Amino acid sequence: MTPKEPALSVSGLRRAFPMGRGLPELVAVDDVSFELAPGGSLGVVGESGSGKSTVARMLVGLERADAGEIRVAGRARGVRERGRAARLRRAREVQLVFQNPLESLDRRLTAAQCLCHVLRLHGADRAGADRRALELLEQVGLGAREAEARPHRLSGGQRQRLAIARALAADPSVLVLDEAVSALDVSVQAQILRLLSRIREESGVSLVFVSHDLAVVGQVTDEVLVMYRGRAVEHGPTRRVLREPEHPYTRMLASSVPGPGWDPAEVVRLRAEFAAASEV
Amino acid sequence: MTAQTPTSAVTANTTRAGARGSGGVVLWTSAGFLVTVVLAAVFAPLVAPADPNAIDFGDIWAPPGADHWLGTDQMGRDLLSRVVHGARESLLGPLLLLLLASVLGVAMGTLAAWRRGWVDVLLARVTDVMYAFPGLLFVVLVIAVFGSGMTTAVVALGLAFTPIIAKFTRSVALAECAKPYIDAYRVQGVSGLVICLRYLIPNMAPALLGYLVVLFGEGLMSLATLSFLGFGAQPPSSEWGLMVQEGQSALIQGVLWPALVPGAAIALVVVAFNIVGVRVADRLNSRR
Repeated sequence: MTPKEPALSVSGLRRAFPMGRGLPELVAVDDVSFELAPGGSLGVVGESGSGKSTVARMLVGLERADAGEIRVAGRARGVRERGRAARLRRAREVQLVFQNPLESLDRRLTAAQCLCHVLRLHGADRAGADRRALELLEQVGLGAREAEARPHRLSGGQRQRLAIARALAADPSVLVLDEAVSALDVSVQAQILRLLSRIREESGVSLVFVSHDLAVVGQVTDEVLVMYRGRAVEHGPTRRVLREPEHPYTRMLASSVPGPGWDPAEVVRLRAEFAAASEV
Repeated sequence: MTAQTPTSAVTANTTRAGARGSGGVVLWTSAGFLVTVVLAAVFAPLVAPADPNAIDFGDIWAPPGADHWLGTDQMGRDLLSRVVHGARESLLGPLLLLLLASVLGVAMGTLAAWRRGWVDVLLARVTDVMYAFPGLLFVVLVIAVFGSGMTTAVVALGLAFTPIIAKFTRSVALAECAKPYIDAYRVQGVSGLVICLRYLIPNMAPALLGYLVVLFGEGLMSLATLSFLGFGAQPPSSEWGLMVQEGQSALIQGVLWPALVPGAAIALVVVAFNIVGVRVADRLNSRR
C-alpha cells in the first residue's frame, strides 16, 4: 500500500429498489463517487430520503450495490465472498455505528461482554479480550462501573460510547457513523463529537459521518458530500461548502442551520426557490 | 382443536392480566399449585397413601372418607394414590412433546425468518397444510399407522404442535431481526448460524417461554384426550385422561368421584399453566 492510497474509494455507486409491478424502480443512490484519505473525515449530508443511509449500509455490506465499486485501502470489497476469513477481513475494513444506540446493542450482554465477544471473534484470547475491552471502554470514557452494566442501565450518551467502542473493537480502517448523534441531546452530541475527533487523531481511523445535520458535520469533518435524491450535488472541503455553498440545495440546507442571525423566513424562501428550480 | 386454541387463550388471558396488573394472589396461587403438583409427581411413592394398583373388589366406588380421601374406582383402587402417580405420566408426556415440538418449531421458525425467500414460502406452505388438518385428526392418523401407545401419542402430538410453534417463532424472529443489533453482529463478521443460535434465539427466549408454558397446558389436555379415546396411555396406567375414561362406567351408575377427580386435576393444572404462562410472558417482555 502506497502512502497516497485512499483509505476508502467509492466509484459509481448505485442502488435501486423495486417498487412493485408496473411501477418504476426507486433509485436511492445514483452514481455516487468519493475518496477518503487515511485518517480523513468525510461528511455525507442530505435530508431523509436522500440516499445517505443506503450509502452507509452499502459501505458496510448490509445492502448490496447494483453497480459501482467500493475499495478499502485499494482492495475491492466483494459482497459475494464467502467464508470465515473473508467475513472477518471485511469486518476489519469497515465498521458501522447505528443511529439508535439502545436497539443496536444486545440487551442481554453487559458492556464488557459486548466488547469481548467482538474481540474474541477477531482472534483475541480470553485474557487479551478482557484487557482490551477495558482499554476500549476507557478510550470512549466509560469506567469499570459501566463495564458490568447492560444497555438499559446506561444513559443514551453512554450507550453510543459503547457502540463506538464496539465498532472500534474490530480495529477497522474506516468507521461509518449513520446518524450516530441524531438521537442524543445537544450537550451529549458535543461530547460524542469531541470523542470521535480524539479517536481519529489517536488511532488514525477514517470517518464517514452520515447526518442530516450540517452543523454537526461541520464540527467533525474535513470534507463534505451533499446528497439530494440519490445524487451527490456538491462535494468539497467542509469549510468552503458551509461558507460558500454552490448548489442551491446546499444553500438551502446551510440556511436551515439555526445560529446567530438565523432567519426562518429565509429558509422558507430558499426552500420555495429551490423547489421551483428543481421542478423545471 | 390443538391448532386454534392456544392463541385465543393467550389473547383472552392477556387482556385480563392487563386489567388486574401483573403479579398478585392469582399468579402466586397458580404457581404454588403447580409446584405442589410437580413435587407430588416426583415424590409420588412417598406422597401417595396407597399402592395405585392395589385392587380391592370389596371396596369399589367408595365415597371420599377417612380410608380413601378421594374415594375408590371400579376396582377399589385408591383415587388419590392413582391421581398422584398419574401426575408423572400426565406431566412428563406434555413436557416431552413440547421439547420435541419446540426444538423443531423454533428451528423452522427461525430459519424462515432468517433466510426469508423460498425457505420462508416453503415453510409457510407446510405450516398451512398442517393447520388445515384438525390437530387431533392428524394425530389419530399417525396412531392408526404406528399403533396406540404413549410414545406414539407424544411424538404425533409433538409433530402437530410444531407448526404452531414455528409460526409463532417466525413472527417473533422477524421483529427481532429488524432490530439493528442483529445487523451489528453481521457487520462484525459473525456468521448467520452463530447469530441465530447465540444471539437471536436467546433474545427471543422470554417471548417463547411464556408461550410454551401456555402450550404445556394445551399439550396436557390433548394427551389426556388421546388417552381418553384409548390411543394414548394403556391400562393399568393411571394417566389422567385414561382415568376419566375408566370413570365413565361409574358416572352411568351415578357415582361421580372416579371421573371427577382426574377431570378436576386436568382442568386445574391447565388453567394454572395458562395463568402462569401469560404472566411469565408479560413480566419477561416488560423487562426488555
